[in-house]
Amino acid sequence: RVSSDGKPPKFQPPPKPVIIDRKTQKEESRFLSPEFIPPRGRTDPLKYYIERKDMIQRRKVLNIPEFYVGSVLAVTTANPHASDKSNRFVGICIQRGGKGLGATFVLRNVIEDQGVEICYELYSPRIQAIEVLKLEKRLDENLMYLRDALPEYSTFDVNMKPVPRMDHEEIPVNKVQVRMKPKPWSKRWERPKYNIKGIKFELPEHKMQAAQKWSQPWLEFDMLREYDTSKIEEKIRKELSEELEK
Amino acid sequence: MMPIWTKSGEKRAVTLLKVQDCHVLRYVSKEESGGKTAKLLVGGKNVSPFSKPESAYEIFKEAGVPRKQKVTTFNVTDDAIIKPGTPLYAAHFRPGQFVDVTAKTIGKGFQGVMKRWGFKGQPASHGQTKTHRRPGAISTNSAAKVYRGKKMPGKMGDIYRTSFGLKVWRINTKHDIIYVNGSVPGHTNCLVKVRDSKLPTYKDCNKNPPFPTFFADGDEELPEDLFDEEIFQFTDPSVTFA
Repeated sequence: RVSSDGKPPKFQPPPKPVIIDRKTQKEESRFLSPEFIPPRGRTDPLKYYIERKDMIQRRKVLNIPEFYVGSVLAVTTANPHASDKSNRFVGICIQRGGKGLGATFVLRNVIEDQGVEICYELYSPRIQAIEVLKLEKRLDENLMYLRDALPEYSTFDVNMKPVPRMDHEEIPVNKVQVRMKPKPWSKRWERPKYNIKGIKFELPEHKMQAAQKWSQPWLEFDMLREYDTSKIEEKIRKELSEELEK
Repeated sequence: MMPIWTKSGEKRAVTLLKVQDCHVLRYVSKEESGGKTAKLLVGGKNVSPFSKPESAYEIFKEAGVPRKQKVTTFNVTDDAIIKPGTPLYAAHFRPGQFVDVTAKTIGKGFQGVMKRWGFKGQPASHGQTKTHRRPGAISTNSAAKVYRGKKMPGKMGDIYRTSFGLKVWRINTKHDIIYVNGSVPGHTNCLVKVRDSKLPTYKDCNKNPPFPTFFADGDEELPEDLFDEEIFQFTDPSVTFA
């Protein structure tokens, strides 16, 4: 330290303890919509930057809420052939695909004993409103098996009221184990490649073990498949929060 | 490639082309080149000057421009001549124009006749002996020879091909990007040549383009994004049908 003219240095009191409340910090909206994360490839990052600017522009006009696969949504789209010129569809989100402006999500519902799935584009100008009626997660990221499940698991009331939810609560995970219709199914969901946790398999033991023949246990150790998105996500989150505040 | 929506809510696919450091390198007059029109040599995309001997850089030294990866010729009328050394920008094109895009297609190597020419091949079963993807007969009995140009297996791809009549939907003047309708030959980040369309339907489509080119140091101040009339801009509210 720099000496102060031979006198003993002035007493520096210890710094006051700064209490960082980690709980409230963690509950900042750490949700980043999956279509913002660029896929691994040789495309110029400038293309993703420009696409993101367009996506942010659209989000300023239409509020696209946070939702996950397994939440129940209601979407109103413009339709020139309908009497009110708009269509409202309620359903459970079974799949979110696509990156950038072409991001899509599929809603499923059973209306008058007929299963209906509609694939909507998040950034299409014909969508007038997206409401989240029930925000929850499920055990899997892809609920395509609901097609082979009993119809009660895919029916949702069209005039359902939105379930109220406090902002700071964690997103509930619905651990329901779905019962299936008898085989044949559209896909062999018991095989390990689908890695489904949300089905109550009522198959005999030998069939479940026979399905394990197709398991590929080396896949989780394959280093070339690793794609660490944490740093990219941080940058994109910062960019998003700056742009949306403007 | 990216989706784009029109004002009526229809989706179109669009390819993004970036104009990266394009400069005019040399003017070749009609008599010198021996053709019907004068030519302008244009170079794109800067590249390191150390991988070739200095004798290869004379064109670039005359124009006062760093070494370019690709040099192409454009046939040009006498009133559209540009001084060598001027940079070319994406604002040279305007939304609503129609362009032809030329590039080298993705190389597929030595390919058989089914992939290269779309032949139907033979059935997989019902007695076929070792013949499932072969061309079959190559000529008739009376011809007694194989005609020149017969479609046979060979190297496929890595040749120049053009997509004609592509509409320009949008231009980004800040990053020099042209949004062109549909797909374009070549792999991602490959070099591409963009010209005004030669199709007779689009002969009168270019109304008041910047002629001979868009000069950045001129008086015109363009907005960052130029849109076509039919495009849905994301600043507008959602589409409703009245």
